[in-house]
Amino acid sequence: MPVKDKKRMTKEEILKAFQDKFPGKIGEIPFVGVDAAFKVDKGLILEVCRFAKETQELSFDLLACMTCIDYADHMEVVYNLFSFNQRHKIVIKTSISRDGELDSMTLVWKAANWHEREIAELFGLTFKNHPDPRPILLPEDWDEGFPMRKDWEGKDFVRLPKK
Amino acid sequence: MSDYPKNSLNLPFITTEKVGTEEFILNMGPQHPSTHGVCRLILKMDGEVIVDLVPIVGYLHRALEKIAENRTYLQFIPYTDRIDYVSAMLCNHGLCMAVEKLAEIEVPQRAEYIRVIMDELNRIASHLVWLGTFALDLGAITPFLYCFREREMILDLIEMTCGQRMTFNYMRVGGVSRDLPGEFIPKAREFVKYFKPRVDEYEAILTQNPIFLGRTKGVGILDQKTAIDYSVTGPNLRATGLKWYLRKEEPYSVYDKFEFDIPTGTKSDTWDRYMVRIQEMRQANRIVEQALESIPEGDIKAKTKAVFKPPKGEAYTRVESTRGEMGFYVVSEGDTMPYRLKLRTASFSNLAVLPEMVRGWKIADLVVIFASLDVIMPDVDR
Repeated sequence: MPVKDKKRMTKEEILKAFQDKFPGKIGEIPFVGVDAAFKVDKGLILEVCRFAKETQELSFDLLACMTCIDYADHMEVVYNLFSFNQRHKIVIKTSISRDGELDSMTLVWKAANWHEREIAELFGLTFKNHPDPRPILLPEDWDEGFPMRKDWEGKDFVRLPKK
Repeated sequence: MSDYPKNSLNLPFITTEKVGTEEFILNMGPQHPSTHGVCRLILKMDGEVIVDLVPIVGYLHRALEKIAENRTYLQFIPYTDRIDYVSAMLCNHGLCMAVEKLAEIEVPQRAEYIRVIMDELNRIASHLVWLGTFALDLGAITPFLYCFREREMILDLIEMTCGQRMTFNYMRVGGVSRDLPGEFIPKAREFVKYFKPRVDEYEAILTQNPIFLGRTKGVGILDQKTAIDYSVTGPNLRATGLKWYLRKEEPYSVYDKFEFDIPTGTKSDTWDRYMVRIQEMRQANRIVEQALESIPEGDIKAKTKAVFKPPKGEAYTRVESTRGEMGFYVVSEGDTMPYRLKLRTASFSNLAVLPEMVRGWKIADLVVIFASLDVIMPDVDR
């Protein structure tokens, strides 16, 4: 269990661990409040996450948060990981087309189940091999599309002008 | 077959044929007294024993994340009160902290102390609501009355400061909205002193009560591996024996200045989850006591521009909310409104693990196990 006097891995060490395993595939990005953040190809995401969880020195056992961001021309899925053993946290991001399909992370962390259901419902992404792809938050009879998308138009939804 | 009683009265509905059993589906909620909100549980039952359970959530979905994209940071603070209305201060704190990190705003010390005092008072109030309703679910009415008596005092203290009892809207980016009134500190000291023996009072009714023990000891065990796999955090995770406390291991605000312990459980059953929260109330009270002694004078809010625009960037911060880790993920495009705001709430993950915990238990235990998770529905649905 947690080792207190053990030195926490630095940003460079964490990135290096991933770069050694996936050479040339790890693109560092800026992010406030975590130890390291990088982007990977969407085809690699399952492998990278599995590596992050199962490697002893990394052991990211907690999927702290998982979400999606809509950037008009593409989507970005974000995984916030944390390790109880090593006390470090990272962000892994991946780009995906707006109607794209992504590997489900439920095999790695069960917590991904509900997060993925939420993303699928609100953003319209599909998760491959998801064990229970039902909608989760919206009403049963919802047929107005994917409300968290930036271009979504709802009946009563008025977008405020930007100042 | 032969030992079946003879149908001597010859009534048409009494049969001597063998009676079979089969699994059936039972619906619980959305409006059920034990769900503390609007949550629907669909159960697959074998007699009285639960075979499987599917939680149906979303009845309180208010699209807070969508609303956030259409409001300025300041305008969104009152909405955070509605994420987890029982501990709204901590939600305020979480959002403000995320934005401060992004914009690199230094919060004055006095403001940080006020935040900690409010957070911990709110934590006690929230645990009191939990304890009261938890005991109520077990059929004990007295603790509920005791808990609400003390909670009322905390709400009075908070009302004195920010004018609200439930949805506070008290914290601001860079500090808090107003200073503590003159009579707050003496009143709060009085409360801290008064509250210490009150926890013993709750414990006297419950902790070693044979009925309570029978209903909670060894019931609804959640092992540590499953808990982490499902991202369960907060008291529920500490009850599994993991000594992890965000306020201690990764101190934010001024939590590193106070002395307090991390209560943990050993068997991760319902009783442990109860005990962890009881201990947490004592620790929270300790923190408030220390903070009241050492609160410095000074500003209560850092200067921010009237039209506040954090720089372009992304930040993820988390606070130790009453129910676990509460994360705020802010994506800023350098605008007055966030481009995207993700609310990572503790109850969402804590509820997802429920099916794993109730399999094989009776339906009466489900009520207790569910209550012991301290899930609050607006926190799940957002």
